[in-house]
Amino acid sequence: MAVKTGRGFAAIEYPTGMNQNGDPSQAWIKVKPDGRIDVFAGTSDIGNGSKTIQSQIVAETIGVPYEWITYDNSNTDSSPVCTGTFASRATFVAGKAVEKAAENVRQKILEIAGKELEIDPADLEIIDGEVIAKGAPQKKISVPDVAAAATWGYGELLTGTGAQLKPYATIVEPETGKVDLPPHSAISYASCAAEVDVDEETGVVTVKRLWQCYDVGKSINPTLVEGQIEGGAVQGLGLGILENCYPYYPSVEHRGGQFGAYLVPGMEDLPQIDTLIIENPSADGPFGAKGIGEMANNAQPPAIATAVFDAVGVWVTELPITPEKVLRALQKKAAGADAPKRDGKTVIFDAELSVNAVGTGIAFGTAA
Amino acid sequence: MKAVGARVPRYDGVAHATGRTEFVDDVRIPGTLWVKAFRSPVHSATMTNLDTSRAAAMKGVHVITWEDVPLLEYGHLSALGIPADEPLLAKDEVRYLGQPIAIVAAPSEEAAMAAVAAITADFQERPALFDVRKAFDADAPVIHQEGNWYTHFENEMDRRQIRKGNIDEAFDKADLIVQGVYRPAAIEHAPIETQVCQVVPEANGRLTIYSCTQALYFSMGVVAAHLQLPLNKLKVVGGTVGGGFGGKVDTATETMCALLAQKSGKPVKWRWTREEEFLCSSTRAPWHMEVADAVTKDGWILGRKMLTLHDSGAYSRFSPYGLTKHSFHHTGAYSIPNLEFNGYVVYTNRTPTTAMRGFGVTSVSFATETHMSRIALELGIDPFELRLKNANRIGDTSPNQIAYTDPSTVPTILAIADAVGHDLTSEYAGMTPAQRSGDLLPEHLVGQLGNPEAH
Repeated sequence: MAVKTGRGFAAIEYPTGMNQNGDPSQAWIKVKPDGRIDVFAGTSDIGNGSKTIQSQIVAETIGVPYEWITYDNSNTDSSPVCTGTFASRATFVAGKAVEKAAENVRQKILEIAGKELEIDPADLEIIDGEVIAKGAPQKKISVPDVAAAATWGYGELLTGTGAQLKPYATIVEPETGKVDLPPHSAISYASCAAEVDVDEETGVVTVKRLWQCYDVGKSINPTLVEGQIEGGAVQGLGLGILENCYPYYPSVEHRGGQFGAYLVPGMEDLPQIDTLIIENPSADGPFGAKGIGEMANNAQPPAIATAVFDAVGVWVTELPITPEKVLRALQKKAAGADAPKRDGKTVIFDAELSVNAVGTGIAFGTAA
Repeated sequence: MKAVGARVPRYDGVAHATGRTEFVDDVRIPGTLWVKAFRSPVHSATMTNLDTSRAAAMKGVHVITWEDVPLLEYGHLSALGIPADEPLLAKDEVRYLGQPIAIVAAPSEEAAMAAVAAITADFQERPALFDVRKAFDADAPVIHQEGNWYTHFENEMDRRQIRKGNIDEAFDKADLIVQGVYRPAAIEHAPIETQVCQVVPEANGRLTIYSCTQALYFSMGVVAAHLQLPLNKLKVVGGTVGGGFGGKVDTATETMCALLAQKSGKPVKWRWTREEEFLCSSTRAPWHMEVADAVTKDGWILGRKMLTLHDSGAYSRFSPYGLTKHSFHHTGAYSIPNLEFNGYVVYTNRTPTTAMRGFGVTSVSFATETHMSRIALELGIDPFELRLKNANRIGDTSPNQIAYTDPSTVPTILAIADAVGHDLTSEYAGMTPAQRSGDLLPEHLVGQLGNPEAH
């Protein structure tokens, strides 16, 4: 009996935005008389940081400091439609809507600035809160002065709206799943390697280290991206070795009704996490961003399951990989009863878990 | 200063860290009534003799049942034309433990609990079904009148199918067929903030709904449909959520609170206990997946057959969407030219399952990536190289025959190989996602190529 170490690897992909699309997000923006920017969007921030990300997108698009942005997603009277914060769409879809609204506002600012400076708006740009003539930076007017001129001089409201919607992809052949349009807007990719210790005596699996690489398209805020990836890693660890609503499913007894009886990962479970970020820009996302919020817990379970096999030579394919399951698998292995069934060129793992073994109404497989 | 790409401070970070963010539970409205639920005490039963009269007679208590709901059944996917199968409040059948039957509002939490305790009903219990693998058996308990699995995919098909290429030829040609079963568990969302809602009837006849929903407009649409109200009668206040992970896309409390606010004319508040959050809120689905891959001895995956049973629990909610997404991604990050996928949304008498982080794909990533590791071991091929060889590339096509434009499977795999110090042969170490040619375009992959510029 000993503690054995193993490694496993997985590579995954995940679509950004709702599957089959058809999920609108909208935003509108107004400019205060001193040039400060009010953004109205209907995107719930569930802790993912969408208030921050969308404020950054607006600041960058208009060309003003992040601190000038006020972001209001508080109610449906003042904010327009956002389909919601799910499907990794808060940055990718809703962020595109605020980018479009901000671009409209930028154009309005340039028009007023052009009148004030008597320069064609096409020859102006906005940098860090100042409208500057391209190639003649001494000719400039601040965004606050433009906003004041619009309000008190021209009698105009500087405002802009934006909406993002990819058309719904219809399944035109239900028999094959063929669609008439791409059902995804962008696909994100990730790879993960896991290193685990498995105690052959107790069956306890300890995830010691996770190496993870994500293609995020464009990292709008690296701190928040890393937060999503590390938070997702911990949730994936929970999926892999800890969490289960029904520990003896299909028995529904022993369901945990409180945190003390349902194991989510705690600080003591955290492995070392190495995060690598690749930026392969998307065509549709704001500044090339893709959404990676959800996929962040998808790669760890298979990497961990493979690492457990690498460590002690047993496959546990019913999650989570609890000490009890590891010990039962080790017992089976010791009894020589764990080998897959081999029939001609077919190798059948997990035969006892199959519908063929448990049910009578449906079957699967190439061999009995 | 550039805003995009910068590590600017989180917009609401200081407020969160110092406890000054106002979440729904922090809203204080004088005169608010407390809400509690009378729930099914059994997994499956016919219900008769529901009697709320003693509760309704209590001082200051208001009760709603199915009879108070203008539109009783409105599904999470009704807007997409998918028929509803779940009543807001149980009428004569209960299909899971904890299913809401009657909801009360009372002047205090204690009075609300006393009112719930005064509600009675008779339950003729019947055998329940919990194992999706037995749902198709001739003698399985019947969950819904129409059966034990969802039957409303396009053309009223009872399963989601993917077909691509020639699966029989792929399995004939294979040197090896690897088959396995993968079963991730049901998982709690476990947010710190339990489901919570406050509804205020305003003097002008509108309802203000303070909601922890992840989707303000979606939840407003659900409430408006059940109450048969135009959107200008509702104002949903929220946008700041204490953890969701998918579980707060369900509109779990808002509609019932809106009905009680209408009926009582008073503000009402429902804050689920931690126990309700764990036992009555929806979970991530457990999935049953069987995979059989036809492979060659030099590591090409010629074809995949897959059967997925998506445990929906007692009602379908978002499950048909989740299964469709699952089917579209069942080849993972690889190009597999011949496919035969069959997936079912299966009803059981468990708490209904719903969206959760990675919805539909977390499951299939576990199944197919664990399976890839097994294939690599069976063939004696490096697991990184097996994946790089089959990795989807520009111009390869998805299960539903859409060409990929910019896949990053290759660079993310190479980055991790480098990070862990895994040596690759030069053929693989220098790989890019460029369109297939030469050794990377064997005969079996020629026919699946698409045009990446098509869309």
